[in-house]
Amino acid sequence: MNTIENFDHILLFKTNVNCDADKLLLHTVLDANPDIQCWNVDLDDEDCVLRIVSYTISHPQIIELMNNHGYYCCELT
Amino acid sequence: MRVRNSDKVQLVKQTAIELIVKDGLEGFSMNKLAKACNISVATLYIYYKDRDDLILKIAMEEGTVMAEAMIKDFNPDMPFEDGLRRQWLNRYAYIKDKPQINSFFEQLRTSSYQEEFLAGFLTEFKVTMSKFMHNIIDRGEIEVMPFEVYWSIAFSPLYNLIRFDNEGKSMGGKPFKLTDEMLWQAFELVVKALKK
Repeated sequence: MNTIENFDHILLFKTNVNCDADKLLLHTVLDANPDIQCWNVDLDDEDCVLRIVSYTISHPQIIELMNNHGYYCCELT
Repeated sequence: MRVRNSDKVQLVKQTAIELIVKDGLEGFSMNKLAKACNISVATLYIYYKDRDDLILKIAMEEGTVMAEAMIKDFNPDMPFEDGLRRQWLNRYAYIKDKPQINSFFEQLRTSSYQEEFLAGFLTEFKVTMSKFMHNIIDRGEIEVMPFEVYWSIAFSPLYNLIRFDNEGKSMGGKPFKLTDEMLWQAFELVVKALKK
């Protein structure tokens, strides 16, 4: 059975955020952003997937934000 | 818009259990799972926050299914022998239906997931099981004993026979196939051991 659901608010990225120190820094960058409902990064994964829930932000905005802080970041497809 | 395909969700769950049983939790990753399911990693992350979230959600869902299967047609007021027979029937049927599930739970039991998995979870099931033991003790059907002693005698023989059967061999690699006759012979001996 298929149900159509809108998952456009879940934004997924491949990153190089791979340690707790990086994650801590991400907290300072992402926690304060009112457009981000919640986020998490999977440090166990080889793609270091960053998962962001936001109804307003777009992929390029996050990529730019991450790049500005020196992180590699591209959309996970 | 994406389509949530419940067949795909089922495939993800089933494959995750198979991979964890085969390679252990250490060897399990979202990438491996996506490859094994022939789907993109992104699809997995739509459904699950991360690897921990996936493992715990699957464990919770499977745990609920297990608890329901085990308390089917069972109530804690049943007389000792009837109640235990029902437990053996339910547990045997459940494991026959899901042969890999015991190894999956065993992986979790010895991992850091254990605490989260067990905390406040399956409470109703545990209360029912403990109520049954207390009832049969209160009615004087079995001796007073710690729960662990009761559980070991009541269920370990069953799980051990199932393990031999799953592996197709018993001690020293001797070929083994569990028959109903053997199962109920072991049950009778367990009843004899516990009954006052």
